[in-house]
Amino acid sequence: MNETDHELFEAELRKLKPARPPADLMARLLEAPKGVEAGQPAGASGSRAVGSSHVSISMLLRWLAGAAAATALVSLLLAVWQHPRKDAQHAKAAPVSRRNVPEAEDIEIDRQLVGLFDTVAKLPNGEPVRFRCREWADEVVLRDAARGLVIERRTPRLEVVPVGAETF
Amino acid sequence: MDELPQQDDWQQWLDSHAPKFLLFARQQARCEADAQDLVQDAVVEACRRQLDGTPPPLALVFATIRRRAIDLARREDRRAGRELLAAESMPVAWFDTSVEQRERSQLIQDAMNRLPEIYRQVLTLKVWGGLTFGQIAEVTGVPANTAASRYRYGLVELRKLTGEVLA
Repeated sequence: MNETDHELFEAELRKLKPARPPADLMARLLEAPKGVEAGQPAGASGSRAVGSSHVSISMLLRWLAGAAAATALVSLLLAVWQHPRKDAQHAKAAPVSRRNVPEAEDIEIDRQLVGLFDTVAKLPNGEPVRFRCREWADEVVLRDAARGLVIERRTPRLEVVPVGAETF
Repeated sequence: MDELPQQDDWQQWLDSHAPKFLLFARQQARCEADAQDLVQDAVVEACRRQLDGTPPPLALVFATIRRRAIDLARREDRRAGRELLAAESMPVAWFDTSVEQRERSQLIQDAMNRLPEIYRQVLTLKVWGGLTFGQIAEVTGVPANTAASRYRYGLVELRKLTGEVLA
């Protein structure tokens, strides 16, 4: 498309005139400045309620601002009211819970070697490998003489260390 | 608003420009009722911004139509598809034409409908809205050079879509 074609085509398009709006829309538009003076869109009762969307949005925003302020105030009051109650409940509850907790006078932590052996295995390529295995028993003993309480816990543990076959 | 435009001036201004606004709005809206509401709301809003009582600048009205159309489309996306389909099926002629020109105007309207929106907007604002590329840039929010190149591409595309009928 060269410049002349461009201009010719543009001229063809300009020959078409946009359609005149329907009479009822023109009538509403004629009233527009009066609507502005009155502080609301002219013909708000026009074709549809969409015409007053900015009014309803501003009303919604105003309503939301009020609701948010009221919610914040109520939350603040609740927080102030709940704070001393929680402290008092906590103070009451603390001794009760502390009464049930054992107070250890003596704690023993020990470990015993209960087994020691070596084992030999072969890798997929046939190379031998040696493992040195130690069986341990970890023990914790807790005593509370005031309550006549002894808690003893033993946990078995296996320790496996690979060592070279040549150390055999 | 300190002063209202004289009724005769206002009538004259509307006679000259309301058809352009409605043409632009029809391309932005999904149905005729929405398009008319867009024009009305945009004119009222633009008038409200004119503190000296003179009719608002064309670019301001076009920009307001575009902004409100975007807002409306977002709201309508939430509406039921059935309602939208019913609204979309209303055919409206975009141009005033004599009987001889009717076929040609329908051809252009169909081709405009098939153009990408970025081209259609610029073409409408330039050819029928009478705006400069600087004003089109304000309305569409793109640089003036971009608006100019979109206009050229748009003309070429429209020419392809209308075939050689208008040549």
